Amino acid sequence: MTEFLEAIRDFTETGGQVLLVIGLLIFVMWLLILERALYLLIWHKNFKSAAIAEWKAREDRSSWYAEQIRQKVISRLSIQLSGSIPIIQALVALCPLLGLMGTVTGMIEVFDVMAISGSGNARSMASGVSKATIPTMAGMVGALSGVFAATWLNRMAKSERTHLEDAITIKRNA
Amino acid sequence: MFKHMKFIAVGLAAATFSFGAMAQNDRALDLDALLKQLEEGQFSQSQQNKQREQEFMQKRAEQDSILEDTRKQRDARLQTSEQLETQFEENEFKLADLNGALDDRLGSLKELFGVLQQVAGDTKNKFYNSMISAQIPGRAAFLDQMAQEMGSSSKLASIEEIERVWFEMQREMTESGKVTKFNTNVVEAGGQKTNKEVVRVGPFALVADGKYLDFNGVTGTVAELIRQPADRYGDSAAELQASSGEMVEFGLDPTGGSILGLLVQAPNLRERIEQGGIVGYIILIVGAFGLLLALERLVTLTLVKNKVNKQLKSKEIKENNPLGRILKVRERHPNADTEALELHLTEAILGEVPKLSRNLTIIKIISVVAPLMGLLGTVTGMINTFQAITLFGTGDPKLMAGGISTALVTTVLGLVVAIPMTLLYAMLNTRSKNIVYVLQEQASGVIAERAERG
Repeated sequence: MTEFLEAIRDFTETGGQVLLVIGLLIFVMWLLILERALYLLIWHKNFKSAAIAEWKAREDRSSWYAEQIRQKVISRLSIQLSGSIPIIQALVALCPLLGLMGTVTGMIEVFDVMAISGSGNARSMASGVSKATIPTMAGMVGALSGVFAATWLNRMAKSERTHLEDAITIKRNA
Repeated sequence: MFKHMKFIAVGLAAATFSFGAMAQNDRALDLDALLKQLEEGQFSQSQQNKQREQEFMQKRAEQDSILEDTRKQRDARLQTSEQLETQFEENEFKLADLNGALDDRLGSLKELFGVLQQVAGDTKNKFYNSMISAQIPGRAAFLDQMAQEMGSSSKLASIEEIERVWFEMQREMTESGKVTKFNTNVVEAGGQKTNKEVVRVGPFALVADGKYLDFNGVTGTVAELIRQPADRYGDSAAELQASSGEMVEFGLDPTGGSILGLLVQAPNLRERIEQGGIVGYIILIVGAFGLLLALERLVTLTLVKNKVNKQLKSKEIKENNPLGRILKVRERHPNADTEALELHLTEAILGEVPKLSRNLTIIKIISVVAPLMGLLGTVTGMINTFQAITLFGTGDPKLMAGGISTALVTTVLGLVVAIPMTLLYAMLNTRSKNIVYVLQEQASGVIAERAERG
């Protein structure tokens, strides 16, 4: 166990501070993704069935008032559906940006070493190079893993919205 | 011709005669006396001439003898010169013979002394940089002196000296495998010298009081590093000093101090930001401005959202939130039919939306422009770097590296501003959109529900 923790510690140290930020960002991103997934798969069903039952219980399902109320119900549920999906998408977009930041800070370190020790002493530059490459990789991993989750959530939310609109219908007086 | 001669002679005689008569009035004026006088004059003349001839001859003889002497001298010199030349040639042969003999006798020793000199020089440099010299000073000075003596004069190293080189190398080797404690003067970070107990770990590390020390071989001083590595390394150093023989974990710098030295030279955050120059400061100012705007929006939107949620649940209409103000429309136009009401509602909603999405575009723009400004700084920095290259050539990477790291700092600053701005924009946009959705899609529904309840 301690070896495992030490391996993680060494990895974060070779990656530098930016890697910690990326790790935190990916952690938050996946928390939000899990929260959304749970909502879409479990809690949303309860809300949906409650809303449909409420709608079915109404007598008037054709007037302007009914139309407005239907719109209100659908809107409330769809706002709850989308929830933090835009933030998740923003986080996915930020992952490569943070990776780039890590790249640049690492390269700055490499050039600092060059400025101090003159020519290319590969051994002293290695730490800067690893600080440049590891965050880039981490950012890419975060973005790639997040992109699929975010697209899936988006699709789920959209299909649920159309389901709602199909389930809560206006009676037209033929 | 003869006539003429006679005439001149008579004339002369007459003239002489008359002259004598005039000059020597007191003398007897007779021809005999004159004749006698002439004779005497001739006699004295010839006497003088003889004397002069004699002097001349004498001088000539003298000159001859001097010439003779000089010639003799020259011959003698030539002879000695010849002698010396032959001696010189003989000596050359002798020298060559002797050198050959010396080489023969030295044999493998000659190589040995060359190697010894080289090893002494190398070991001296090693001792200058070795941390063990903090414990055992003065080793390098002896080796330095020995190497110089062997290089400058023909003096050979004595057996004692050779054995001492061996001893010093052996001692360095043995000591580099030991962890020892000793007392020495340490220059603290504040600048004062104190005598401390120092722990030396082989040739790799010097620690005291949980702080890593740096040994300067040229001055022979031990100083605390101004910037220490991470705390857990310092703790491990303190643990090592407190331990008495048991195994402890300890972090050491295998390069013998150069990695720890880089720690000191690495610029801190403020120095980094200063490297960014004017462009960096502009990016930071813009970022701070964007952050203030975003915070203002965050507070306002959170408050508005809470009020709207309350309004959705409560029955009485309050005018302190956009939803309440829209619901008021119904009360103002109680007799309007549904179409007119919808128009009034749309109007009211259009009035509320801009208040909610105010400044969001500016935040979005800042999140987009910040990396671009960073790029601008990068390009200007690179221009400076290339100017340095045109002026000084590419010989010194230090000149170029400074400009390049300056150029990259602005990129970092641009990203540092852009990343939180993008996040904040996403959050704020979601919040304001949700409120707008509530107004656009739920306000009329709320009115309908209230109408149904009567």
